[in-house]
Amino acid sequence: MSADIGYPIVQIDPLVREIPSSARDDMRVPVRIYADDELWRQIADDRSVEQAVNVATLPGVTGCVYAMPDVHEGYGFPVGGVAAMRAADGVISPGGVGYDINCGVRLLASELELTAARPHLEATVHDLSRSIPSGPARHARLDLGTAELDRVLQEGCGYLLELGLALPEDIPTIEAAGALAGADAAKVSARAKQRGHNQLGTIGSGNHFVEVQVVDEIFDADAAGAYGLHAGQITVLVHTGSRGLGHQVCTDYVRLMDQVMSRYGIRLPDRQLACAPLSSPEGQDYFAAMCAAANFAWSNRQAITHSARTVFARAFGEAGKLRLVYDVAHNIAKLEQHGEKRVCVHRKGATRAFGPSHSETPERYRAVGQPVFIPGSMGTASYVLAGSDAALALSFGSTCHGAGRAMSRGEAKRSRTGAEVRHELERQGIIVRCPSSGELAEEAPSAYKDVERVVSVVHQAGLARKVARLRPVGVVKG
Amino acid sequence: MEPASSHELIDHISELRLRLRAGSLAGLLAEAGHALAELQLRGAEQTAPAGSKRLQVTAPDRDRLLVDWLNELIYLAEAERWVATEFEIERVTTQSLEVRASGVEVPLPRGLVKAATMHGLRVHDVDGRVEAEVILDV
Repeated sequence: MSADIGYPIVQIDPLVREIPSSARDDMRVPVRIYADDELWRQIADDRSVEQAVNVATLPGVTGCVYAMPDVHEGYGFPVGGVAAMRAADGVISPGGVGYDINCGVRLLASELELTAARPHLEATVHDLSRSIPSGPARHARLDLGTAELDRVLQEGCGYLLELGLALPEDIPTIEAAGALAGADAAKVSARAKQRGHNQLGTIGSGNHFVEVQVVDEIFDADAAGAYGLHAGQITVLVHTGSRGLGHQVCTDYVRLMDQVMSRYGIRLPDRQLACAPLSSPEGQDYFAAMCAAANFAWSNRQAITHSARTVFARAFGEAGKLRLVYDVAHNIAKLEQHGEKRVCVHRKGATRAFGPSHSETPERYRAVGQPVFIPGSMGTASYVLAGSDAALALSFGSTCHGAGRAMSRGEAKRSRTGAEVRHELERQGIIVRCPSSGELAEEAPSAYKDVERVVSVVHQAGLARKVARLRPVGVVKG
Repeated sequence: MEPASSHELIDHISELRLRLRAGSLAGLLAEAGHALAELQLRGAEQTAPAGSKRLQVTAPDRDRLLVDWLNELIYLAEAERWVATEFEIERVTTQSLEVRASGVEVPLPRGLVKAATMHGLRVHDVDGRVEAEVILDV
């Protein structure tokens, strides 16, 4: 038993704790938390467990609700939570995806070695910062008309290929080939389109970034080989999502579902969990709009890739060619088959991590499993992991998504100034471009949990296995 | 005379909690607008007066009215780069709001807010005053 969080805790093994479904009258399934003792201490310190318990009350939830080791308190769903709802009679919840629909990570690999790139790195990072707009309201150079935006929403990266912003070989190495078939641009409001029409190819703000990195250490030579990664190699990691378009889609549908829930007899412990049966007209409309926003996010990361390729070609010529390793979402709801069950898996701050035998793992990675990217905070390493078949039974094929915040933005700013953070990063040899010192302080490494510990837990628990560590050498922060 | 309105911005692990106090619902909604403007104009390099707009919001209840009102202002700031700074409440019920708002144009606002959420949302009456808490996704 644990008195700290107010629920009985069953320790399943050293890395897995369970809150049984009997812990609260309204729970329908247990909650399982992946963490070592140190991460558990941090998790128990905020309201993320309470929020996971609330998710376990949603109609149609099945199996367990899972909390990843980077879980932290969000609003409604915890960030770092996974919940699967039965497709036939379960609900879909916009809050279970979050405002930044299909926030995700994409890794690009060059053939450059750090030693060769270093003399040009500062100019290259500066050029990236000039070529890829960052900050909350920065507009893109690409301003889409209504028909063009609708095609992005409907067709995702396939349309960007037509626009010359993608290479044919990019498409198979994007989750869902960069386009969810369920998308319907007509279900995205005019307001959402107004917020997003000039944001394609922009980073945004918060913890979003484009980072130039070097492959620092290889843990799994076979998987690294399959992903085309080797020690000393320069890579580029892109972390962003669907920008204002996705935020508005979530706002619109949380509002709608809050209005119709009573019609379906749904009562919730937290209004932000607003939901409707997936099979209802409102559930179907949200799913179609969410898929469209997800397509926008993949297209956003694709447009950024095009800008990064232009910058690297300018700096390094043929050697600067950037190959897309993979692109994977960590805020999304997907229809998936798990055994006999057809379910809608909500991953909020959690990454899909399918193993070698899954049909959605790209063919070229079938021997090793789907690549997973875990961005660290600024100045700390990011990790490449490989999905595992075992994760299907352990977490609906999901793993963590990052370090997870340990400190609020205000606390982070009070503990360090932006200038101090900048100097510290520069002392480590990391080139930083950020339009605001305040935001630099908010994202200081000390504001986050220890990403190495988080990754170690998912590796030991069998949710994904470590493949490589990427060390930052240049950061363009949103 | 109505008691003075006030607001506090309180740290939340990943977001921001807005606490509001006012003598009436009209005062509370105006104060919510002021708090949001403070956030949105934080660090703004330049602003220019940009006229006024008549805004209308409807909602099923008082709690949602606050969230929908904030989300209306969030939309205008991002889509039109127009941040409302002054509010003349023309009509308010627990389900509807009509406001004449004047604002400024912000070329590159730094402090944009993604959305107002319903998580932990509370609007309640305390000793003749109205108080509220709402979490903003920032």
